[in-house]
Amino acid sequence: MPSASAGRKNQEKPREIMDAAEDYAKERYGISSMIQSQEKPDRVLVRVRDLTIQKADEIVWVRARVHTSRAKGKQCFLVLRQQQFNVQALVAVGDHASKQMVKFAANINKESIVDVEGVVRKVNQKIGSCTQQDVELHVQKIYVISLAEPRLPLQLDDAIRPEVEGEEEGRATVNQDTRLDNRVIDLRTSTSQAVFRLQSGICHLFRETLINKGFVEIQTPKIISAASEGGANVFTVSYFKNNAYLAQSPQLYKQMCICADFEKVFCIGPVFRAEDSNTHRHLTEFVGLDIEMAFNYHYHEVLEEIADTLVQIFKGLQERFQTEIQTVNKQFPCEPFKFLEPTLRLEYCEALAMLREAGVEMGDEEDLSTPNEKLLGRLVKEKYDTDFYVLDKYPLAVRPFYTMPDPNNPKHSNSYDMFMRGEEILSGAQRIHDSQLLTERALHHGIDLEKIKAYIDSFRFGAPPHAGGGIGLERVTMLFLGLHNVRQTSMFPRDPKRLTP
Amino acid sequence: MAAAAELKLLEKSLGLSKENKYSAQGERQIPVLQTNNGPSLTGLTTIATHLVKQANKEYLLGSTAEEKAVVQQWLEYRVTRVDGHSNKEDIHSLLKDLNSYLEDKVYITGNNFTLADILLYYGLHRFIVDLTVQEKEKYLNVSRWFCHIQHYPGIRQQLSSVVFIKNRLYTNSH
Repeated sequence: MPSASAGRKNQEKPREIMDAAEDYAKERYGISSMIQSQEKPDRVLVRVRDLTIQKADEIVWVRARVHTSRAKGKQCFLVLRQQQFNVQALVAVGDHASKQMVKFAANINKESIVDVEGVVRKVNQKIGSCTQQDVELHVQKIYVISLAEPRLPLQLDDAIRPEVEGEEEGRATVNQDTRLDNRVIDLRTSTSQAVFRLQSGICHLFRETLINKGFVEIQTPKIISAASEGGANVFTVSYFKNNAYLAQSPQLYKQMCICADFEKVFCIGPVFRAEDSNTHRHLTEFVGLDIEMAFNYHYHEVLEEIADTLVQIFKGLQERFQTEIQTVNKQFPCEPFKFLEPTLRLEYCEALAMLREAGVEMGDEEDLSTPNEKLLGRLVKEKYDTDFYVLDKYPLAVRPFYTMPDPNNPKHSNSYDMFMRGEEILSGAQRIHDSQLLTERALHHGIDLEKIKAYIDSFRFGAPPHAGGGIGLERVTMLFLGLHNVRQTSMFPRDPKRLTP
Repeated sequence: MAAAAELKLLEKSLGLSKENKYSAQGERQIPVLQTNNGPSLTGLTTIATHLVKQANKEYLLGSTAEEKAVVQQWLEYRVTRVDGHSNKEDIHSLLKDLNSYLEDKVYITGNNFTLADILLYYGLHRFIVDLTVQEKEKYLNVSRWFCHIQHYPGIRQQLSSVVFIKNRLYTNSH
């Protein structure tokens, strides 16, 4: 007598065969073999950002990441993401898709990269949660090109959630250390994509503006024999049988190029500061954008060029990167960046007066502390309605030894700082181009002349009067976007506690 | 500031020409005034009340029964909540409460200047002097009240004048 289980087996088998036979879509989905450049299909992949009403009813191929996928009965809704853009896609049981295909789509791990062929269909109601709001993709084929592991170290939706929303609705956000430890995934978020595209824009605009002004781009060495700015904050590297140092700034070499008749130079490169500062605005390695320029009679010729360069950058960013600025604002709301033309220039004594009027007690030759800088920024914003300004004629006592003193007042100097949203972004000055005066000032600062002999020598054979300054790329990006930590604007940040990734 | 110093300030602000001599009692140095024809008076608020009467300015203690009670309430507040507390959290909690309280009042009791304003001004001076511009803007009503009292003739005397900025720097003003 046949057992009950045997009978059941006989019943199951035919259904299996039926299921396999019923998967009429089995060629239209699956995990692709690894792309090892086996073939060159004649196929154009359309960018997600180009999936608009203009393409309605067209059949397109798209490669994107699976941001989310969820099954609902005989349908599977996916959100396909490509950099800052995403689009809704639908796999529905029908002519093209079987229920096995729908099930497959619903189970693809998040972040997997897929190739999808589908029809672009106009939607009746705007899809608010996607950047492509007017269309959705009706999937006919879906292949996994690169499968992601099922457990992600962080969820992208959490990573772009505004802090406030996280607190109010009790939903998860991702803290900075987790982001930095899993930077590759964190950089995929729309916010990160926008931040670093804008940062790339800053470099590009810096270069473009200066080249149009007749500047020459130079490269300066980073391995140097003596500490440039002051002994304390240098990294030491072993250099064969001796020691060498990582450059704290391109200062010396910029100036040497001026003495070598290049007249107007700029350089973009890493700067290394071994400062054990764990603040929101310090990194041990950052990208310096430096300018140096010979002038005819007055350092203001240079000051105006530098200020104008920054203004051109701000304008360029506002013109060309509005999408990116808006994307960042969604997660980190802030006031748009404001500046005046011509740039506001205040003198140090005016700033002192403004601060004293607000109740701050400060000596005439005292440097600005960070809280006072920020308060001054607020006072300037309130009075002049600008987030960017120049502070000129700093007290000589608080500037480096190579700063040119003010000819009319020995307590002042021809030096300046520039501020964005109340935080310092540039320190610059007219440099001393006379080797004798330079020696005097170095001695006055107690600097060992032997250590800076090569530097002083550069000025012995005719040196033009010159001035310059430098900005930090990460800090400028942070302040332009109104962000609050320089690690958000450094792709792989370095600080006293972080050396990886 | 020490109780004796404060009482001297108070005497001058009340226009009393004769200066009293105060002694201090106990661990917390509570002021004591030996009067000529009566028992000794102990405690800042007790002595202050006496001085007000001495100066014939009883209206400073309140006009109606209700107002008198409010004045006494705040004198007690001054001695129990303000004095002897230096903890930053306590101070800010106090300033926050006071700020809400002063939202709809010109003076502590409402519309009339009283001893409560004077003693709270003297008591809070050492904290207000150290507030940042941002904090002064945060406690806007306290700042408005304090600025008003410190301009009252004869009240501030040699105490430092605290600067208050008239424009908002930190809340959206543009």
